[in-house]
Amino acid sequence: MQAMHRIFNFISSMKTGLVLLLLIGLAAAAGSSFLPRTFYQIPAFKLLLLLLLLNMSLCTVKRFRQTSRILLSKTGSRVWFRNLGSLLLHLGILLVLIGGIIYSIHGQQERIHLLPGQQVDISRVLNIENPFTLRLEEFRIEFNEDGSTSQYISEVTILEQGKKTGQAAISVNHPLNYQGVKAYQTSFGYRVHAEYTENGEKKSSGFLEGAWLNPDGTDRRVKIYKYIPDFDPERGMNSVTLRPDNPQVIFSVYEDDNVLGIGAAKFNDPVRIDENVYVSFTGVESYTILDVKYDPGLPLALAGGMLLALGICLVVLAAPSPKNLRELKPQP
Amino acid sequence: MGIIMTFIVYGVLVIYLAAGVLYLAGNRTGREAVHKYALIAAAAGCVLHFAVLSMRTALTGMLPLTNGLDFLLTFSWITVVTFLLLSHRFRIKAAGGIVMLMSASMVLVLIILMKGRLDAVSPLMPALKSPWLTTHVITAAISYATFTLAAGLAIMQFFPAGRAIKDDYVNLLVRGAFALLSLSIVIGAIWAEQAWGRYWSWDPKETWALITWLIYAIYLHLYNRRGWSGSYARWIVIGGFLLVLFTFFGVNYLLPGLHSYV
Ligand code: HEM
Repeated sequence: MQAMHRIFNFISSMKTGLVLLLLIGLAAAAGSSFLPRTFYQIPAFKLLLLLLLLNMSLCTVKRFRQTSRILLSKTGSRVWFRNLGSLLLHLGILLVLIGGIIYSIHGQQERIHLLPGQQVDISRVLNIENPFTLRLEEFRIEFNEDGSTSQYISEVTILEQGKKTGQAAISVNHPLNYQGVKAYQTSFGYRVHAEYTENGEKKSSGFLEGAWLNPDGTDRRVKIYKYIPDFDPERGMNSVTLRPDNPQVIFSVYEDDNVLGIGAAKFNDPVRIDENVYVSFTGVESYTILDVKYDPGLPLALAGGMLLALGICLVVLAAPSPKNLRELKPQP
Repeated sequence: MGIIMTFIVYGVLVIYLAAGVLYLAGNRTGREAVHKYALIAAAAGCVLHFAVLSMRTALTGMLPLTNGLDFLLTFSWITVVTFLLLSHRFRIKAAGGIVMLMSASMVLVLIILMKGRLDAVSPLMPALKSPWLTTHVITAAISYATFTLAAGLAIMQFFPAGRAIKDDYVNLLVRGAFALLSLSIVIGAIWAEQAWGRYWSWDPKETWALITWLIYAIYLHLYNRRGWSGSYARWIVIGGFLLVLFTFFGVNYLLPGLHSYV
């Protein structure tokens, strides 16, 4: 019994908590310098966070009696506010940690790519109760005067069982929030249209960057490397801006596995690949990349963050105690 | 415009250095008059510094908060303003030399990094177009400035001239700065959830802001324990300030992530 008591005291003590904070800090520092990204998934690191959660929960429970006595008595005093603040602050941190745990157990996040006109059944991407479909009506990039990007916007329609139930413009900082599923404007890409002859057929279709064409009448193959909206030979593959001021397609021609050459072509300028073999790029279409997420822990984490913020403000505003305040007055 | 601004910033640097030297001289000679001159110099530098901030605001049409360099410009100014306001009420003039030299170094770093681009204007990138921008960055800037002051006072406590500086002054500053850092991190997380789809992604800036926060949290928990105020506490405040510097410079320049808008 006494041993149990000792263990409980050890796990719930502030000293243990502070050592945990220090260890988490050191581990995070090491992680960010040596193994960014993967480090924070390591079980040992997660264990530290779990131990902190345990320690803080027990510590809060242990102090609860004392805190509640203060909160029930000296209403309105500095001490009262400080204790209330401290309680909220610690509860807030606990909620944030619990919210994070809920996400890591039940949360889902996936990336979807949509061309205008395409649609995706979200219940095939995420495991959710109320299925719905997102259809991309339009994806556009808006520009500032200097050509820099002002906003990326995906205009979507939401459908349930084939019926339209809503529509939204998803842009950076303005995610869609529909029945607990959120969709964020994350990225975009291009599909280049090319015309050429393959297997005796005149073809005109769209290709993603990196795709290969095998035109008739030659052994040579063409790789569509990259679409450059504002091409500048000085900068090569780096578009000046995303605004299509000088759109060109960078392609390379291969024979067997050897590169014969790399070129940049304007739209509708036929490119000679071999004798009498031409390919022309006729246009480009951009597609959107959205992250869709289901995080049942989010409301808890948000509430935790707010409690934390409120609590810390109370603690600071209520400090220092009147005794200290007198000391802080300038001495004559 | 660029040339005028560069000229004024050099002026601010020189005046801050002068104010710093005067404050130190005041400590040495123990003459109130010297401290008064130092105060006048610092205030004059502060006014010029504010002129640069105003010109940046006029140029960009936004408060100077949207990139690392504007942040540095704002945060060094807040450091000086807060010091001047507080030194009016509390006995912390002795730290004036250190605080002015710290602010001068920030202005110097700004001049080096800016390479004369003080009139550079670029529109906000989409991720920054959010009502959270101002609150997130202002809280961070005031927090950093207050941590700087706290560290300045803590350093001064090691010298005989800093005897009037009470541990409680430093503690009060750290508390305020800690609360503001907490607000900035919480707001940053709320914003990150909207902008990037995750409220915490262990991006270097997030990670180092958290590490900084943890160290000061440890300090605040230990402060009231017997034996911890005094020299230990001072060292943590100084160490915490080094973390603040790393979170700002190290992360912006060495560990680029989502948060690099330099
Ligand atoms: C959990 C999330 C976040 C944390 C912990 C965080 C932390 C910080 C900190 C400590 C600073 C102070 C200045 C510095 O060290 O550079 C800062 C500045 C800044 N933050 Fe965040 N932030 C977060 C999210 C965001 C998001 C989502 C954005 C925008 C999309 C953003 C944009 C900025 C900008 C523009 C500055 C000022 C300029 C600069 O120093 O780079 N932050 N942030």
